[in-house]
Amino acid sequence: MKSTLRNVFHSPRFLVGFIIFSIILLTVLIYPYFIPRDPLQSLGKGFLSPGTYVSVYDANNTDPYRVELPEADAKRLEASLPASDRVTMIEFLTAKNEAKGDVDLTGIDVSDENLDALIELWRSNYDEQDVRKSKYPGFSTMAQRNGLKRLDRKINGSSAGLVMTVTRGEGEDAVTTTVNGSDYVKVSEVSNAITLPLGTDNFGRDTLTELVKATGVSLIIGLIAGTVATLLGLTVGLLAGYVGGWLDDTLMFIANLFTVIPGFVLLILIYFSIGQAARGITTCALVIGCTSWVWTARSVRSQVISLRNRDHVNLSKLSGHSLFRIITTDILPYIASYVVMAFILQVSSGILAEAQLSLLGLGPRTTELPTLGLMMNWAKLFGAYTSSNAWWAYFPVILVIALISFSLNLMNTGLDQVFNPTLRD
Amino acid sequence: MKTRKTLALLLSVVMLVGLLAAIGPAAAAADDLPRDETLYFGGQQWGPVNGTNPLSTNNNNGMAVAANARGSRTIMFETLYMYNSLDGKLYPLLADGDYKWNDDLTEMTVAIKAAAKWNDGTPVTAEDMAATWAACEKVANGTYADYSAYIDAVEAVDGNVVIKAKKTEDGKPVNPLQVLNFLSGVYVQQAKWLDTLFERNGDDTTKILEDPAEDVAFSGPYGPYIYNDQLAAFVRNDDYWGQDASMWGKLPAPKYIAHALYSDNDAALVAFKAGQIDVNQQFIANVQNLWEKEGLPIATYMDEAPYGICATMPTAWYNMEIPALQNVAVRKAIAMAVDYDDIIENAMTNQSPSFADVPRSVMNPTDGEQAMYDHEAVKDLQWVGKDIEGAKKLLDEAGIVDTDGDGYRELDGKKIELNACCPNGWTDWMAAMEDVAKAGQAIGIDITTNYPTWDIYQTVYTKASQTEYAIFMQSPAGANPASPWARVRALMSSEFLGKDNNWSGNFGHYQNDRIDEILAAIPLTTDEAELKALYTEATEIYLTEVPSFSLMYRPEVFHAVNESVWTGYPEAGDGNNIPPMDCTDGYGIAALYNLELVG
Repeated sequence: MKSTLRNVFHSPRFLVGFIIFSIILLTVLIYPYFIPRDPLQSLGKGFLSPGTYVSVYDANNTDPYRVELPEADAKRLEASLPASDRVTMIEFLTAKNEAKGDVDLTGIDVSDENLDALIELWRSNYDEQDVRKSKYPGFSTMAQRNGLKRLDRKINGSSAGLVMTVTRGEGEDAVTTTVNGSDYVKVSEVSNAITLPLGTDNFGRDTLTELVKATGVSLIIGLIAGTVATLLGLTVGLLAGYVGGWLDDTLMFIANLFTVIPGFVLLILIYFSIGQAARGITTCALVIGCTSWVWTARSVRSQVISLRNRDHVNLSKLSGHSLFRIITTDILPYIASYVVMAFILQVSSGILAEAQLSLLGLGPRTTELPTLGLMMNWAKLFGAYTSSNAWWAYFPVILVIALISFSLNLMNTGLDQVFNPTLRD
Repeated sequence: MKTRKTLALLLSVVMLVGLLAAIGPAAAAADDLPRDETLYFGGQQWGPVNGTNPLSTNNNNGMAVAANARGSRTIMFETLYMYNSLDGKLYPLLADGDYKWNDDLTEMTVAIKAAAKWNDGTPVTAEDMAATWAACEKVANGTYADYSAYIDAVEAVDGNVVIKAKKTEDGKPVNPLQVLNFLSGVYVQQAKWLDTLFERNGDDTTKILEDPAEDVAFSGPYGPYIYNDQLAAFVRNDDYWGQDASMWGKLPAPKYIAHALYSDNDAALVAFKAGQIDVNQQFIANVQNLWEKEGLPIATYMDEAPYGICATMPTAWYNMEIPALQNVAVRKAIAMAVDYDDIIENAMTNQSPSFADVPRSVMNPTDGEQAMYDHEAVKDLQWVGKDIEGAKKLLDEAGIVDTDGDGYRELDGKKIELNACCPNGWTDWMAAMEDVAKAGQAIGIDITTNYPTWDIYQTVYTKASQTEYAIFMQSPAGANPASPWARVRALMSSEFLGKDNNWSGNFGHYQNDRIDEILAAIPLTTDEAELKALYTEATEIYLTEVPSFSLMYRPEVFHAVNESVWTGYPEAGDGNNIPPMDCTDGYGIAALYNLELVG
């Protein structure tokens, strides 16, 4: 046993797979202790991109530090009115000048020094109603005019100077303070700030927390499905292979039926008919397990057939050992390594099956727990990769699914290398 | 060896021919539809067209045949009047001037425009309208089913259409409001063509309804051009009567109207973003990202939330056959606990006013309807949602508490278990149902979601009796000439009880005698104050009894435009009074006459 384990862990493939899988598993187990958040609780509204969110209210109520950063002013101007916006402003002023000839564009450019002049010129020339009526070339459509409207709001919203005042409270209690360009707060001192490493999903749930929980749930689904499939397959295979005769014929007849009907189609039909309300995590896993035992059964059977006439088995038979004892002590140990490998693959395909079914909208109940497939389904339904461009809502999920199945498959090939005599180095 | 070579050559020739044949129609369609003369639509047509038969509901021809009182699509067939959801008024199309009621509202007279002509050049007459009604009666189609309870006869008298309302025993009209719906909701068809249709099918109703009607006469500005498995296209009739000064005074701008067939919403959205669709009737989550983040030349009727005119209220219905839901405290508690702001922000991505802006009632958020009830009188009944504590208190007071300590409340000794259902893939509704389930869990009622496919969903919720769905979604009537009466009816009328295939309303099978009295009284009430009192009472009953609750406000149709090719679409505040109804529906078709090419 010890030497087998040593052999197994000397296989580089197994080791890499094992490490990846262990990291995923450890994360799933440890994460909730550090961030005990309800994975289905919505924090924000809709897709928020990854980053740290600091409460503006609390930041204003936090004592500032004085920090002087070089180019702070330039950055600030660029953020409030980037060069692309200034180009649009000049384009509009030029178009108006060409149509009406009443705009003096001398000395106007996109540089920071001339920004005040540009803003001044914009304010004296932009008028929403005039733009709608005059249909300046390049600014005649609704979308283009709306762009100008937004730009105008932005210009009027940004403070021209770099000093800002903030008024807190109402009426007589109101306190007005001045915020200087050199005032900084320390993020850790702001009472409300949250870091969302993977942003939020369409319901505003923290994607990372949800992903960790979903990975755990999907692993459980995979484990249950894999265990059920392996146990079923093993039992059927052992009985059919060892007992033979009519029992073999009957069991193989059933197995053949399952082979002929594509497993996934069968899954879809069963999932569909039991209805979503009845589809809990365990039910889902059991159904997956009950439909994917066939190939384990067939290969176990063929291995058992080659084993059943070995000398030690015959000896056991002559000694009058029971069927159960012969199978468990004389046959099972010889195929144990194979069964373990089959189990690993079953777990992997169970996780994939859940993801596939959920993506089709046939997943488990949505109100209790997240799964990897459900996360993908919501991302798809809410256009995470079409209208919302929210890569964080689906890409990490795909990555985790890929990593799980990659690591399990690596472990499987690693084991194969150790146990399969034809592949042994 | 040689035979093998020949075979290979033959095979490749066959494949090449096959390939050419496959790309053939698309190439032909592109040549036949110059981009700068074609207005492309999206979200209205999802499969190949079967026919253009205005009598039938089975054409799958969304662009041409879509008659509905809230705004019939009049690019090919025309109605007497066009409904404008912006001001709630009817504008004459084939009709000449306003309709005239007689004094006791039993008879309506509508004149027909002298200029109105069919595509074969013959004039549209009052006889055509009378023949249309007679044909509907003969084949007993949906139109007849919708209106036969209110309309006795449609006749042609002295060149005018005379609509005789059905009367009750005391000689009063059953419902004059539904007669108004007839004006904007039924296409006028040519008497001569109807004769041909009946003749060639030997008066066999089934055959008549299945007739693809390739030779159909139409009065609208566009006729069929290309129907295949990739698109449906229509070409302008340059002799269209509407260019007469008594109607539009000109032809609509695009020479062609086309709708490509996309496999699903995502494919259509990609095409819309690429400028292959000009006018898109599709819910787009976070539509503002298309212009704010991606800088695409896309716009909606308003450039800020809610981006469109919300006229309907997707509603969660309580199934009154579920024992737990017969308890009004349970109904009200769930409705109070739901976080509507969350629904509006997450499901509708803010494309709806909030319930704080427009408090809940039986009215849609348009100014016209909001003015029709007394806001002060029902103020204490309106809830804004997310009131978990209030909901818990309500249940506690009603004696519905958790007695066995499993975290869920029991009613009459039984744990309250409910499901919240809507069709799978209808994302805004699904997100809303998630919120309803969450609200239930928060107040100790076990609500789980269930998303069957639409095919199944529609057969269940329209049944006369069902216990499969406890809380389920559907929208009551939006805006049409008969609203808000039509909405009160759809929300609570007992006329739908016991009816199978009930697509019209009261899906939860609620019954209230006082509501039925109010519904009977409103159509015959002309005094404004009295009308307001009746609507206020209906609102009071609705908010006290909670037979259903609205989850959000929603536009009747979504309307987003890509201005890569065409511009001049309706816009809030442009003074044209054209509703954002995809340039095709009701008075929204007026937009087609204002379009111009970009640049």
